[in-house]
Amino acid sequence: MRSLCTYFSRSIVAAAMAMGLAALPYYGAHAAGITNRTIGYVLTNKYWAVYTTADAKIECPHGFNDGPREQFAKLFPNDGVKRTLLETQLAREADTWFPASLEEKTAQGPLPFYYVGGSTAIGLNLDGKVGPNDFTSPEGEPGIDNQLYRVIGCVAGFRPGGAYYFFMNEYMERYAFNRVLIEITNVDSLVNDDDVTVTVYRGLDPLLGSADGKNFLPGGSQRADERWGQRYITRLKGKIVNGILTTEPANILLPYADTFDCNTDQHFKAARLRLKLTPTGAEGLLGAYVDVDEWHRNMAINWTTHHASYGQMSVPSIARALRQMADGYPDPVTGKNTAISSAIQMKFVQAYILHPTLPHRPTVALAR
Amino acid sequence: MLASSADRAESSKVDVPTIGKSHSRNQFPRRSGLVARTGIGFGTCAIVALLTSCQTSGPAVNAHHPTGAHLQAQPVARIAEPKDVVSRARLRIMTAQQYDNTLANIFGPDLKLDAQFPPMTRTGGLLENGAGVAGVSEAQVEQYQRTASLVAAEVTDSAHRTFLIPCTPANEKSADAACAGQFLTHVGRLLYRHPLAPEQAAALVNQADAAAVRLKDFYAGLSYALEGMLISPEMLLLTETAAPDRTQPGHERLDGYSLATRLSLFLWDSGPDSRLLDAASSGALETPRGRARVVAMMLASPRLVAGTRAFFDDMFGFDDFQTLTKDPSIYPSFTGATAADAREQTLRTVVDLLITQNGDYRDLFTTRKTFISTALSPIYGVPAGSGWTAYEFPPDSPRTGILTQVSFLALHAHPGRSSPTRRGKALREILLCEPVPHPPPNVDFSKVENPDPSLKTMRQRLTAHRSNPVCAGCHRITDPIGLGLENFDGAGEYRGAENGATIDASGSLDGTTFTDAVGLGQALHDDPALTSCLVQRVYSYGIGGAASAKANPMLAYLNQQFAAHGYRFKDLLRTIALSNAFSEVEESTPQMRTVRNGSSLGK
Repeated sequence: MRSLCTYFSRSIVAAAMAMGLAALPYYGAHAAGITNRTIGYVLTNKYWAVYTTADAKIECPHGFNDGPREQFAKLFPNDGVKRTLLETQLAREADTWFPASLEEKTAQGPLPFYYVGGSTAIGLNLDGKVGPNDFTSPEGEPGIDNQLYRVIGCVAGFRPGGAYYFFMNEYMERYAFNRVLIEITNVDSLVNDDDVTVTVYRGLDPLLGSADGKNFLPGGSQRADERWGQRYITRLKGKIVNGILTTEPANILLPYADTFDCNTDQHFKAARLRLKLTPTGAEGLLGAYVDVDEWHRNMAINWTTHHASYGQMSVPSIARALRQMADGYPDPVTGKNTAISSAIQMKFVQAYILHPTLPHRPTVALAR
Repeated sequence: MLASSADRAESSKVDVPTIGKSHSRNQFPRRSGLVARTGIGFGTCAIVALLTSCQTSGPAVNAHHPTGAHLQAQPVARIAEPKDVVSRARLRIMTAQQYDNTLANIFGPDLKLDAQFPPMTRTGGLLENGAGVAGVSEAQVEQYQRTASLVAAEVTDSAHRTFLIPCTPANEKSADAACAGQFLTHVGRLLYRHPLAPEQAAALVNQADAAAVRLKDFYAGLSYALEGMLISPEMLLLTETAAPDRTQPGHERLDGYSLATRLSLFLWDSGPDSRLLDAASSGALETPRGRARVVAMMLASPRLVAGTRAFFDDMFGFDDFQTLTKDPSIYPSFTGATAADAREQTLRTVVDLLITQNGDYRDLFTTRKTFISTALSPIYGVPAGSGWTAYEFPPDSPRTGILTQVSFLALHAHPGRSSPTRRGKALREILLCEPVPHPPPNVDFSKVENPDPSLKTMRQRLTAHRSNPVCAGCHRITDPIGLGLENFDGAGEYRGAENGATIDASGSLDGTTFTDAVGLGQALHDDPALTSCLVQRVYSYGIGGAASAKANPMLAYLNQQFAAHGYRFKDLLRTIALSNAFSEVEESTPQMRTVRNGSSLGK
């Protein structure tokens, strides 16, 4: 069994930050929108984009993949053979970090791993091309790059209702480190604007849940972490067409909090946002290449075998598959791809983004 | 073990003098008009109540001028303090908040205090007045003991004993009478609000010693004795004792310790501290100069904030927040945190204006300055930093004054819809001291609960409801007020329309018309009953019982003083605390003497 990461307490820096809110304008509930050519949002939900059909027959014709328990039973059947701890549990533990040893060397050959077989996927066209391995979006857009979906699409834990799918969003509310803000500035309209700036920040404040527990509330406030979270601050150029914001490719770093508040970072290469904007929320996709080593490491660190078992998520198998499906950023020496195309479905609610360490920005009063 | 129930009304030892023209009905054209206009729906009691309110409101105080500058330009006849109005020595039970405040002041704010005592019965608009008619059940004693046990254990634990206990025992595993006596005598004086008699102190030390020996732990023994003190009737029951007034032969006044306690509960919502007890002991409280000095010290103390919060929490009926619920499917923004912060927001607004800024009480209903928290941010639609942050609504905001704060708007509404009737009723009863009759038992609510779909706004539905003459009478005195707040839904969120129809938030307050909530706040600000109601409530809060009609001369005097001081709350507190009626008491009845002598108390 792998050990869990150290539980770090979070620093509290709020006391040092003077807000001076009296200088900010009155918006009025539900009147939130563009103010001072600015609107902010806070991320409330994120899912690795997995396209599913009703019975999964199309995308997973062979069924779902085995998890740690099922694989362990296949690797080490109760056949009377005496095996040591070193040969079994500890060897499997080593596989978590250095995959492709045991499960590729069984007497029957490598354990099977089922990739997604359909042609439809949620995502963005990251390379501007339509290649043979690309998907078509549910809306019919060709050239969708989401090879991560090929890897995790038939792993139960990543599908809607699965353990990873559930917990990744539960952690969005439970933990604070992974608060993600986007602030759109230089914006005149949420319907059409050909030149806006989108800045990504880490936020410092909790999400506000609705009274019925079903949603998150717009209209909350979030302090941008411009002190300890400077590495997350990324400015993107973008445009809004028919209410859809699209940003130009850029590398983005997002804070990542997982099981037991294990905090780390997640890099998104050539990332771009495609979000439908409203005055109270935003919803859409982050498409990017993610580093396979980082993706593997984050999962290996943060998901114990216990948790992975509930989602039938075999880290050794997934890590092996990640490298096989990697489709970008080839290593200049080996030529092997080091990143895999991916997409994250995201939901935001509107939030007032405060910049505690910056001088107050000039504001304009809205009606009401 | 019952506190006295015979001391609710304040009394006068002589006939109440006529205040002359200030009691003329001509002085109350708006009140008279109100009754005349709406009388068909009133019971006799309601009319009497309204007139009683008029008698105690504003006549001696020309309060129609919002700034108070008229006092210089148009002097009114000065009313001298009526020396013949006295209060009663009372026996009251300590409220949970007073208990918590007292212990926090003695042992420090880091103790985990969460006393949950049964609520008092609201009497004369205040829960505090109900403390004089409370009983103590066995279940209540269990709650007292639970709290006392936790506090005693915490005070004597290893984390606190080094700084809360002024000595170290010679042997921690045994008794130490000297050290126990030092601690218990000091703490006992503060808990019982008077010095311990030698035999009383000795008995407590004996208890601590015996327990220490038996438990082989000095601190456990001390905890045992302290727990007993914390549930003692001497701690929990506030017994006021009369003594001859040396300055007025034949009169009685509260003795020094009783007066110290009354002052402390009034201004600090807590038992007296050591300085106050010293003043009681030295006789300083019995001289006007000494008492003025003590009151000035108390008004300058940070503990005045707790006292002010307690009073307004009581007057505004914020105990109802404990049972406030909203339909989450209708008001998803209104969470438990919203309710708690709404209460806190208004109390912070009150303290900031009346104590920190020493502002005009009437400005509570027009001020745009308040405080915002993250839980309130979505409802107000304004940014909020972490914790509480000062915020001022801009001049074009529809929010002005505490009537437009979530506390008033949400507390006086239905779980799933607004209520002009409840809001109007609350404004009259809480802020103007004008009781509104209960609805008749056979009232037909169908027009508001299952309305005709064509009636899109609450104004339209209430208009239909008022077509029933049985309903019309009461609604005429509440709805024109409450409709002014219809731009705010049942959770306190702003709305410009209801069911697609633009909301008309016009209304009137006893003849003063307005077009929206801002106008309502100004109308209330200028209403003389606003300040006279506060005077009446603060006075009865101070003396521990509802003010009767016999107190009218005193209330007239206080109204005038309040106006003369620009409606500053702290000046009102000072005037009451220094008044004759605050310290003078009517002669003790045999029943009270029996109680005070301990023939029933704690036996």
